[in-house]
Amino acid sequence: MASVVAAPLTRRRKELRRHALIYAGVAPFVVLAVFPIYWMLITAFKQDPDLYRMDHFPFWFNLAPTLRNFKILFYQTNYGSWIWNTFTISFWVAIITLLTAVPAGYALARLRLPGAENTGIAIFMTYLVPPIILFLPLSRVVAELGLQDSWMSLVLVYPTFTVPFCTWLMMGFFKTVPMEIEEAARVDGCGQAGAFLRVILPISLPGVLTSVIFAFTLSMQDFLYGLAFVSPGDQKPVPVGVPTELIRGDIYYWGSLMGAALLVGLPVAILYNFFLDRFIQGITGGIGK
Amino acid sequence: MTGSSLGGGPDSGVRVAAVPAPARRLAVRRWRTQGSQRLMFGYALLAPAALYVLLLVGAPFLFSLYLAVSDANVGDPVARFVGLENFRSAWEMDTFWIALQNSVLFLVIAAVLKSALGTSLAFLLLQDFRGKKLVRGLVVIPFTLPIAISVLSWKWMYDSQFSVINWVLSRLGLIGQFGTEGWPIWLGDPKLALAACIMVNVWRTFPFSAIVLLAGFTSVPSEVLDAAKVDGCNFFQRFRNIVVPMIAPILLIGFLFDTVFTLSDLSVVYLLTQGGPGNATKILPVLAYQVGIQAGNLGRGAAIALFLVPLLAPALVLVLRNLKRREY
Repeated sequence: MASVVAAPLTRRRKELRRHALIYAGVAPFVVLAVFPIYWMLITAFKQDPDLYRMDHFPFWFNLAPTLRNFKILFYQTNYGSWIWNTFTISFWVAIITLLTAVPAGYALARLRLPGAENTGIAIFMTYLVPPIILFLPLSRVVAELGLQDSWMSLVLVYPTFTVPFCTWLMMGFFKTVPMEIEEAARVDGCGQAGAFLRVILPISLPGVLTSVIFAFTLSMQDFLYGLAFVSPGDQKPVPVGVPTELIRGDIYYWGSLMGAALLVGLPVAILYNFFLDRFIQGITGGIGK
Repeated sequence: MTGSSLGGGPDSGVRVAAVPAPARRLAVRRWRTQGSQRLMFGYALLAPAALYVLLLVGAPFLFSLYLAVSDANVGDPVARFVGLENFRSAWEMDTFWIALQNSVLFLVIAAVLKSALGTSLAFLLLQDFRGKKLVRGLVVIPFTLPIAISVLSWKWMYDSQFSVINWVLSRLGLIGQFGTEGWPIWLGDPKLALAACIMVNVWRTFPFSAIVLLAGFTSVPSEVLDAAKVDGCNFFQRFRNIVVPMIAPILLIGFLFDTVFTLSDLSVVYLLTQGGPGNATKILPVLAYQVGIQAGNLGRGAAIALFLVPLLAPALVLVLRNLKRREY
């Protein structure tokens, strides 16, 4: 009788011990990953006198939390315009990316063009040409087009990395759509374009949406292009404006700086989080499986 | 629309059944032979993306080769051909050699650290436990947060006086008081600054290593492992002879991507130290930016950036070979 009761108990205890060990192992990683973000969060809501003291416990509020840092941000800086610029840039980058990458991905995956596979790889490889090599020549292109010092220059250059990546992504995506669906559409009287627009595109909506998300999140990862091409304070996107405009000489407004960074950074990070597996699949080439 | 057509197979089957079978076969055959029309359509769809990439990546890349052999600068748009002068003068700059050395040091140390952290994390995430999804979601935040934004947090944590890292270390009794010799000034001390920058890169990319490794592990079919187990292979044999060869291509690709991004990234160092103090954290991208944009010497800046190509080329070739072997 006793042994019957004891058996599940030990199993449960074993399971508990296993969990405890795993949590103990995972905890340092979680702390390492999250602490800088927590530190930004709490800094953003602290009053200045609370920030610049070393004699008391810094991980919690010693003075009442405040929204003053955010007020400074919206009333005394161009933060509002940076948010607006970020969204406008992302919107146009997404449009350009969709109009180019989706048809190209379809053509390369499905229309049996000669050398399609190699063309696809060649386009994808351009994703790996680093901005640091391209930004000097591109600064000339931007100047020739009269786009320097305007957020529109970033609309022009961000697709240099979103188009290759999303073409590759869509290529993998379209390969998973069964050929029969397309054949059926053709038999039912759809033309070549009709089959693509009316049958394939609607069922590929998840892939298309993924591309939109990447056009947005990858644009947010840029710093160099924004730094090199856009210098007027009101034309910058958030990731460029915050570090370049909110730091004046050696004076740091840490509270506002952290608030500005988090307000946009955190939503982007969370959005990207959901699509991270797609990103990894995309670059490791496992997407077609 | 999406709802009904997502179940494309049966749905289209019903519609197709309305067409008599021979007519259907005929129609399919006719579609397959419409070669030239299909090609035209295909090239038309491909053209916008191909043009964008050619005009804004291909052409600028060639243009940067041209800039590198010209004396182009910001003030004087008419450039003259100067041969390899820019490369030679870069070669003779002391700063260039320091930057090259720092770049390689940065890359290697960061790679070792992020592999170690990433591998341990991947093994932990391979286990089944409660709250795994949440843990995974939290640990990847460094990688998904826009880089310029997360660097700011580190800049604040490395503050010369109010550094939270120092607060902890000092409470633990590991360092001295503020104002004394024992108080590390992370970004101001030439001996610490590069390590501080590497730390940020490692923090940002170790989740990437872990997730790539995890993707590799889960791609190994459990049947194969079970079969090997039945055949009497022990854990290490299974790991060495099955898991490692199977995940090697994925690991290689992840590793190469990271190499390209780490070598060419300027934001971490630029935002933390701008390459200083002195030249302690100067890496090639920062030098290229400072020479090309801030000093306005486009030609020499382009030449310095192009020195990255021989460093990156092996990585690019390996990626290419791996992608070509990709199966669908």
